[in-house]
Amino acid sequence: MTKRIAALKEYQWDKRHHAYRQPAPQVSGQYRKARLPDFERTAIRLNAALEAERPVLLPGELIAFTRTVPDLPMIFTQTEWEDIKARHTIHENGNVCNLSPGYAPVIAGGLLALKNQLTDSPYHQAMAMSIEAVLKLTKRYQALAKEQGDEALADTLARVPAQGARSFREALQSLRILHFAMWCEGNYHNTLGRFDQYMMPYLQKDLREGVLTEEGALELLEAFFLACNRDSDLYPGMQQGDNGQSMVLGGMTPEGRDGFNLLSRLCLTASKELRLIDPKINLRVNSQTPLEVFELGTELTRLGLGFPQYENDDVAIPGLVRLGYEEKDARDYTVAACWEFIIPGKGMDIPNIGALSFAGVVSDTLRAALPGAQNMDEVSRAVKEAIFARVGELVQGFKDIYIIPSPYMSLFFEGCLQKGRDISLGCEYNNYGLHGTGLATAADMLAAVEKEVFVEGLPVPVLFHALDQDFSGHEALRERLIKDSPKMGNDEDGADQYATSLLDIFSRAVEGHKNQRGGIFRAGTGSAMYYVWHGSELGATPDGRKKGDPLPANYAPSLNATLKGPLSLIKSFTKPDLSRVINGGPLTIEFSHALFRNEESIRKVAQLVMMFVRLGGHQLQLNTVNREQMLDAQKHPERHRNLIVRVWGWSGYFVELDKCYQDHIISRAQLGE
Amino acid sequence: MDKERGIVFDIKEFAVFDGPGIRSTVFLKGCPLRCRWCHNPEGLLRQPQMLSPKEGPPRLCGQEWEAAALARRLIKDRDFYEFSGGGVTFSGGEPLWQWPFVRAVISGLGGIHTAVETSGYVPEAVFSEAMDVFDLVMLDIKSMDDEIHRAYTGSGNALVLAQAQRLIKGNTPFIIRLPLIPGVNDSLGNMEAVARFLEGVPRLLRVEMLPYHQTAGAKHQMTGLSYSPGFDTTRDPKAHVEPFKNRGIPVKIL
Repeated sequence: MTKRIAALKEYQWDKRHHAYRQPAPQVSGQYRKARLPDFERTAIRLNAALEAERPVLLPGELIAFTRTVPDLPMIFTQTEWEDIKARHTIHENGNVCNLSPGYAPVIAGGLLALKNQLTDSPYHQAMAMSIEAVLKLTKRYQALAKEQGDEALADTLARVPAQGARSFREALQSLRILHFAMWCEGNYHNTLGRFDQYMMPYLQKDLREGVLTEEGALELLEAFFLACNRDSDLYPGMQQGDNGQSMVLGGMTPEGRDGFNLLSRLCLTASKELRLIDPKINLRVNSQTPLEVFELGTELTRLGLGFPQYENDDVAIPGLVRLGYEEKDARDYTVAACWEFIIPGKGMDIPNIGALSFAGVVSDTLRAALPGAQNMDEVSRAVKEAIFARVGELVQGFKDIYIIPSPYMSLFFEGCLQKGRDISLGCEYNNYGLHGTGLATAADMLAAVEKEVFVEGLPVPVLFHALDQDFSGHEALRERLIKDSPKMGNDEDGADQYATSLLDIFSRAVEGHKNQRGGIFRAGTGSAMYYVWHGSELGATPDGRKKGDPLPANYAPSLNATLKGPLSLIKSFTKPDLSRVINGGPLTIEFSHALFRNEESIRKVAQLVMMFVRLGGHQLQLNTVNREQMLDAQKHPERHRNLIVRVWGWSGYFVELDKCYQDHIISRAQLGE
Repeated sequence: MDKERGIVFDIKEFAVFDGPGIRSTVFLKGCPLRCRWCHNPEGLLRQPQMLSPKEGPPRLCGQEWEAAALARRLIKDRDFYEFSGGGVTFSGGEPLWQWPFVRAVISGLGGIHTAVETSGYVPEAVFSEAMDVFDLVMLDIKSMDDEIHRAYTGSGNALVLAQAQRLIKGNTPFIIRLPLIPGVNDSLGNMEAVARFLEGVPRLLRVEMLPYHQTAGAKHQMTGLSYSPGFDTTRDPKAHVEPFKNRGIPVKIL
């Protein structure tokens, strides 16, 4: 890290740039009163937001643009919004989110080239106004750079994003501005996608022409990464840190080549040196990826950054093709804010539209079916019917979705400009994704019932009574359920077979259902924040879990499972055919920091990840944690401001999380102690 | 032979400190020595016993395994071992105290890499036979001084050094491990003596130093034993690596 970057990092870490933040000026909100179409309102608001911005240059910064006016007024009046909500399904907060914009053509061609294609149709005029707004703010930044004597920055801003980038620095600055403006349009979880693929041509050219060294490139890259952390506190999702700034490195190119390149490597280095939560690195790999790449990834894991998250091309690409994605698009997959597979520049998938609570369905089914069941086959049949029924209800629930239009964001998606059709209305892929929460807990319940009821002869009323009492007075039974029943994660078919079957049923249950946008439904293994919600509304369960206790996050063993270790864990979680549940959702493993006392651990963890890939795992995220440190951070947050943890699909600062999320991480099994 | 039975107190997957590659380590119960700094006091007694941890209910420590069943439990992860150049390590307690059982388990492991962490405090015939079976032997030398050895482990070091001599003359790759205990064996003099003893031995892969950790005492309470180490547990041990480096012996601090 150069001195310049170190100084800038410290400046930002101390939040000194927050002093520039100011409340939004009291605009009259004319656009709300004037009965304007929604897309035009968005454009007017973007223009107002960027006009309100006050250009600032931080000391020593190489990549400019800092958010100074955080607030965005709503484009609708409260009454209008209530009316829309009454007639439509609103996904999350109603804005365009969780997409992977196609940055490459815009960085290469510039915004003016797009503007030249626009007609005087009202929609195109909204696009034009948005482009103008971005360029006007850029001009003001350029003037400031000139005024402060930063000729290099002024020259860069004179070029991009109006015109195509010619150098790595111009490309980074262009991306920074383009990305910055997305937030100002009201969009969120704006991901960075396959950064190393679309930025590599600029780096390559600069290196070839000798205008940049690798060291110089790393400094620019770190400046860009710092910029990603500058305003990210303004973009919380469900929690602070859940800001969706994911970045995907490596993986197969649309042409079928291996995409891991020098820039992928530099990104891993930048992340390792900076140790910040953004961008959140994903590493696409396959069974042929060399050990060295996994070792580079493990270096970050060791630092406790909670990333890289690994995606396995061998499973994801065929899985997406099976769902109907074109092969070249499937090869180009990236991830949404957390881990849902999406296609850059083409996907308007809503991959987190809802969730099936495996634990909830199985718990309800056992209540209904167990008293009359003669054997596990009958129970399993009832579970299958219940999942089909529940999925059937779920897919009926997402009718008439309304999303606030985003003409500016639409510039980054194929066909939107040409057709004059906003991205909020759809794009090439319009599939909906369903998470599946509490899989391991559901499998453990079935395994426990098989053993206790059908093998050991525990009377069903006794079991139900124990559950009703939340195991009070039934401690011995609970102990048995926890200790003596097979648990998913221990490579025991007694539990694993149920997990395999539950996922298979889930993927079949969504098959054939179409959504209103012409897309399909995708089943997945993620949980998002549902692991807390679905857990809190669920009573005591036959796996020994008490009422209200959380479910495991994503694709992970139950919190009450005593685990044999990482080898059995990986064996268990690679048994199902994961290409069939390719909405995404990673196996999540917590390692103890003590593991990394040994230098050889880097290689050994890398080999472990390689085995996960070879055994057919789809996604993996690794946390390196220190329980004592987390407990101390709860007591003395001020001493642990830089403690980073992986929550459900993103890395955040531990002390900024709500306590229930902190406690969940503390209660997960730590391996390698 | 696979009907041999043994007492195991833990099986640890992905044990990263116990030899090359991805390994599983089996901890066998029972040890002839009584090292004051023992990190695994629950491994001292041969028989299963109840442990009373500070938090949570008492639990049984030690489980009887049939050799063939234990071999199956370990070999199920053969793909991990083979992919990474790893295998299975036997530790304890003193694993060679249950040698017929360990030998029977190994015969069911299909030729994967095996290693042992031993105190060497076992009959010479057992050690000789074991040396030929294992692919890697990790032997502790706790002190070159017989009196100190006796004072802190309950036994003299003659047998241990004799086993070390066997390794030095033999064909099995080995590692010498030195627990570093403050004020007991971390002196430059002791390190010089170990280094002289090991000089010019082709099969010696390296020397590993294991600095004493202050947490060692925590487990003693669970076993109902009092912890009276008889040395200054608050001071960090010294790690003199020079005597080894000067003689070209690779040395590593774990």
